[in-house]
Amino acid sequence: MFGWSELVPAFPEILVLSMACVVLLVGLFTDKKKGGFIVFLSVITMMFAAILTLKDHVAGVEFTKTVIFNGTFIRDEFGDMLKVVVYLLMISVFFYAKQYLRQHDNLQGEYFALLLFATLGIMVMISGHNFIALYLGLELLALSSYALVAYNRNDLNGNEAAMKYFILGALASGMLLYGMSLIYGAVGTLQINEISQAIAGQNNDMFLVLGLIFVIVGIGFKLGAAPFHMWVPDVYEGAPTATTLFIASAPKIAAFALAVRILGQSLDVLMIHWQSMLATLAIVSIIVGNLFALQQTNLKRLFAYSTISHIGFMLLGLVGGAEGIAASMFYIIVYTIMAVGGFGMIVLLSNKGMEADQIADFKGLNQRSGWYAFLMLLLVASMAGFPPLIGFFSKLYVLKAVIDQGHIILAAVAVIFAVIGAFYYLKIIKVMYFEESETDQAIDASFDVKTVLSINALAQLGLLVLLPVLFQYCIRVTGSL
Amino acid sequence: MDMKTTLMIIAFAPLVAAAIAGLFGRQVGRIGAHTITIGAVGLSCVLSVRVLLQFINGEATPFNENLYTWMVTGDLSMHVGFMVDSLTAIMMTVVTFVSLMVHIYTIGYMSEDPGYQRFFSYISLFTFAMLMLVMANNFMQLFFGWEAVGLVSYLLIGFWYKKETAIFANMKAFLVNRVGDFGFLLGIGAVLMTFGTLDYVEVFNQAPQMADKTITIIGDNQWSMMTVICICLFIGAMGKSAQAPLHVWLPDSMEGPTPISALIHAATMVTAGIFMVSRMSPLFEMSDTALSFVMLIGAFTAFFMGLIGIVQNDIKRVIAYSTLSQLGYMTVALGVSAYSAAIFHLMTHAFFKALLFLGAGSVIIAMHHKQDMQEMGGLKKYMPITFITAWVGTLALVGFPGLSGYFSKDAIIVATGLSDRWGSDVAYIAVLLGVFVTSLYSFRLLYLTFHGKERMDHHTKEHLHESPWVVTLPLVLLAIPSIFIGWMTIEPLLFGGFMNDAIVVNPTNDVVKEIGLYHFDTTAGFALHGFVTLPFYLMLAGFAVATYIYMKNRALASTIKKQLAPIHRVLENKYGFDAFNQKFIAGGSVKLGEALWKWSDSKLIDGWIVNGSAKLINKVSVGIRSIQSGYVFHYALVMVVSVIVFIGIYVFK
Amino acid sequence: MIISPELFQQIIFYVFATFTIGSAMAVVTVKNTIYSALFLVLCFFNTAVLWLLIEAEFLAITLVLVYVGAVMVLFLFVVMMLDVKQAKASQLKQSYTKAALLIAAAMLVQLLILFAYKLSGEIPSNELVRQEQGYSNVAEVGMTLFTQYVYPFEIAAVILLVAIVAAIMLTMRKREGNKQMDASKQININPAERLRVVSMKAEKATTQAQSKEEES
Repeated sequence: MFGWSELVPAFPEILVLSMACVVLLVGLFTDKKKGGFIVFLSVITMMFAAILTLKDHVAGVEFTKTVIFNGTFIRDEFGDMLKVVVYLLMISVFFYAKQYLRQHDNLQGEYFALLLFATLGIMVMISGHNFIALYLGLELLALSSYALVAYNRNDLNGNEAAMKYFILGALASGMLLYGMSLIYGAVGTLQINEISQAIAGQNNDMFLVLGLIFVIVGIGFKLGAAPFHMWVPDVYEGAPTATTLFIASAPKIAAFALAVRILGQSLDVLMIHWQSMLATLAIVSIIVGNLFALQQTNLKRLFAYSTISHIGFMLLGLVGGAEGIAASMFYIIVYTIMAVGGFGMIVLLSNKGMEADQIADFKGLNQRSGWYAFLMLLLVASMAGFPPLIGFFSKLYVLKAVIDQGHIILAAVAVIFAVIGAFYYLKIIKVMYFEESETDQAIDASFDVKTVLSINALAQLGLLVLLPVLFQYCIRVTGSL
Repeated sequence: MDMKTTLMIIAFAPLVAAAIAGLFGRQVGRIGAHTITIGAVGLSCVLSVRVLLQFINGEATPFNENLYTWMVTGDLSMHVGFMVDSLTAIMMTVVTFVSLMVHIYTIGYMSEDPGYQRFFSYISLFTFAMLMLVMANNFMQLFFGWEAVGLVSYLLIGFWYKKETAIFANMKAFLVNRVGDFGFLLGIGAVLMTFGTLDYVEVFNQAPQMADKTITIIGDNQWSMMTVICICLFIGAMGKSAQAPLHVWLPDSMEGPTPISALIHAATMVTAGIFMVSRMSPLFEMSDTALSFVMLIGAFTAFFMGLIGIVQNDIKRVIAYSTLSQLGYMTVALGVSAYSAAIFHLMTHAFFKALLFLGAGSVIIAMHHKQDMQEMGGLKKYMPITFITAWVGTLALVGFPGLSGYFSKDAIIVATGLSDRWGSDVAYIAVLLGVFVTSLYSFRLLYLTFHGKERMDHHTKEHLHESPWVVTLPLVLLAIPSIFIGWMTIEPLLFGGFMNDAIVVNPTNDVVKEIGLYHFDTTAGFALHGFVTLPFYLMLAGFAVATYIYMKNRALASTIKKQLAPIHRVLENKYGFDAFNQKFIAGGSVKLGEALWKWSDSKLIDGWIVNGSAKLINKVSVGIRSIQSGYVFHYALVMVVSVIVFIGIYVFK
Repeated sequence: MIISPELFQQIIFYVFATFTIGSAMAVVTVKNTIYSALFLVLCFFNTAVLWLLIEAEFLAITLVLVYVGAVMVLFLFVVMMLDVKQAKASQLKQSYTKAALLIAAAMLVQLLILFAYKLSGEIPSNELVRQEQGYSNVAEVGMTLFTQYVYPFEIAAVILLVAIVAAIMLTMRKREGNKQMDASKQININPAERLRVVSMKAEKATTQAQSKEEES
């Protein structure tokens, strides 16, 4: 039997679940044009979850891993760090979503409830210690995401995107499940740590490798890595921007956790196999992402391809040994912050009936508002990896880890295509600063959204102060796995 | 409150205030912005004074601690840390006090400016940067502060960004400082190469062992490592402290708002170079060559820049040239190893020069932002407080015995006279003649502005009145130290060994100690003695000439101008530094740049490498784009095919 | 000839396995949606039999009850209500069918080779444990589900909740021109608001006669 004390490590999850239900109920009594209270509840939930997660990490107290629910749930430093990042990301997602949905007079409690359910899915994935738990977390996240993409019912593009996302997602889930069942068939257990022990010494088992391939397909799909990336641009473009913003951020962290849990923790013996597979995915992603992005005129689509190339970089880090995993973790955290800010900017510039998702919509932004142009400049430059912004350092760490492992060609290809990628980022900057604005409409946003966006963008500079600390944490938590 | 907390508050309170005023300027409003920033800087000031008092009373020991390790790469670790000793404490107090005065003054001066909050944010940010600079315990942070004060300085020179001349001045300051910073960075690099660390204490401890180390730069000549380091570092100081020939940006920087001229371009930032050299005294003492270089540059600046001041008509420019000249004095003091005298002059100068600038600002407010002295005159009856404080500032500047400027300047002159460093005779003559020049342009400024006929137009005259209290209060508060600070502090500062923990002087070079032994009995005695020395008479001569020309016989001024037309022209053209830079350096780089752009950039790089590859990549990406068709079964197909390929590669390999 | 229990089981297994695969293929190949759904029902039944073979009676029954009894009936219901048009052969391009077949064949070949050669004898094949009579399958499933797998079980419950919420959110939304009835409004209606009793003067017969005349 469970005692209450045994539930303590899962308190954040329980809180998020309960609050999701509360938000669902409160949403029924909320006007579509307001809904500040819902946002407040959601944000508060994240804050309390953060407190619950962080309260055992005070300085000077030894933190030990706990495994509960018969080994299906693990609480460790790695998971807690990622969760805290997810909370912070979700807080900004909530604010942007509020702004976006108010623009469309369509702010409903369900949206935020679904976001909270998705967050729960992410948390389950981050602390899953059993293949079933991981898979169910993934499904919870995916199902919520499908619904969030289809949120604007009258929007054909959104429906189409949701449909594609759903079908391809089901296909990928099927493959993931098939891979998991193959592995289960080979080792007879679903526990992460037991799998690792069971396969020790039989790393050439083709049966396991086959399972591994299917698992990687599933992870690759979730991350949006080429060649399993085809859904990414269509879904990013078709979904409401608030949803795109969400899909581009927190779920990537979950997918990263999934990759680390499955590949790094349970299939560590097969490292030599999955490293070469991930290297393939990484290089293909970097090439495809950057090349396709060059052609885009739609900013959401452009960011979608840029996501693919960033994911490639992140995967590249996983090839780079122990330090590489830390570098990957750092990369994905930094990337999600940039992505949220970038899409947040689109939300900010949109207004009723007009989505500012074309590059042309950013023309002459500097004349309309120098501050926002500057923020966008920071975000875009950081995505492109211009020093001294944080995006530069995250790339640097990954490349360093990869080169330390002797994969110089990989690093060289990555750098070449990152340089090609800089072109389309520069295009955005050029448009903002050197072209005439077509509209003189004032940018209208509430104070909180502006503040969140400013913090978001200034983090590209501000995090420099925390850079080594953050990276040291990444090294520590990945080392303690 | 322990030392560490105190220091953190001192440094970071202005930063927080700057962030609030800058980012939330619209929300906190004008009153909010100036309340927050003044509160923060006031807090810093009070705590700085407390720290200084602790040092004076001997309660505090030098503080040196790393607060935060920013990055470790290989053997090099970069820290944020504070090193606070008597030298730093003085600088902190001067910086925060003048900054506080300027903050208050700004309320009045900028009251009608639309960029009010932005301005407060900048000056608070500047205070933070300057504090980081002086409190640094390593070269990295010093460089950070160095660049940060530079940045804010450019931002503020170009504060009125719609004014052409301000933009030009802004760019000029930026470019000239780049030259200095390049030297500075080379110096830091040389320090790192020689010592393997950037930490002050470690560097200074190792310095004596490195005295004989040499380096080959060009050919086979062996250069003393210390000389190379010191000269490189001093080139940095020349940029920031506006020593000839890198002084050209400072007069132009007067295009910025007057509070900035007072805070940054007179009292604090420009003295960063002086502070830096004093801080590096353990290194500079290793190289007589470098010190001679420092001294001669200083002497040149002190005398020749003063001369230009005589022919200027813009009230702020006169004071700017006076600043150059005074910085030259400080540099001379550094050059003769009288570091404490340099810091002493730095401190007194900060007070009386800030006073003069703010006084000029007050006049400019009254004149509706006209700065030409030829259109002023007779203002004393309209602006009594400004008038009196300006006299106080001027008397301090020219070194009237008993006032603050007298003590510091006389100490420098005597020290230069006593020094036996190579070239010190020339420097001595330059600083002596400099006294005459200083006196001449200072009194000229007073007479043209406050005395004589009222030459302004009718409209301006009607509106003449004394400035509001927020403007005059800082004047009065600055006038007080301008009078007394020298009297109060000369003995402990120069002869009491107050800065022994910070400044290292070789016993053979220690001219200040010599003054203490042979020329200084008591403060009062030293002050009285001032009435019978050569500098006093030179000062009187300057006063007399100025009085005769500008009060009695104004026609004489134009006669002299005609008689000495060639010299006047040379001075008007500022010895041709600007023209030279404009024509050869700026013009030359533009031509070189154009040539490079035409040939290598646009043909080779753009034409073949960039556009060529861009075209290729574009073609490729258009080609593969057709895969992304939008059909869901295409996507599924790609996924499944990929899986098959993966299995093919990894299972059947 | 006496058929041993083992052989009998194997025969049963292969018969029903063939049916399972066959009906599964039929689900995706037949063009009529109704047939397709019915083949799915068949597929489920066959799977249920396979489960019975490994003594998973509870799961077998649940499969039939839940999937066949509830889900598929609902599915058929929806299909018939919506009057889905039969997919025409021309809609699917031949080239895609061929490509798809090719890919499927490639995958099949790969897997066959893999299972035939690469993996010979390496699959851990635990013998099925035959339980005593009176062993309760239901109790065992319940125990496992609510102790060892309680966490995944709860998550699965949340997934269902999300599915419900999502489904309702996406369908129950007011559309322009939607003629939905609101029962509470219907009940709460006050006759006085809807009906107005107008008293009119009785019209004279002559006018009617006149109008008739005009018509004729």
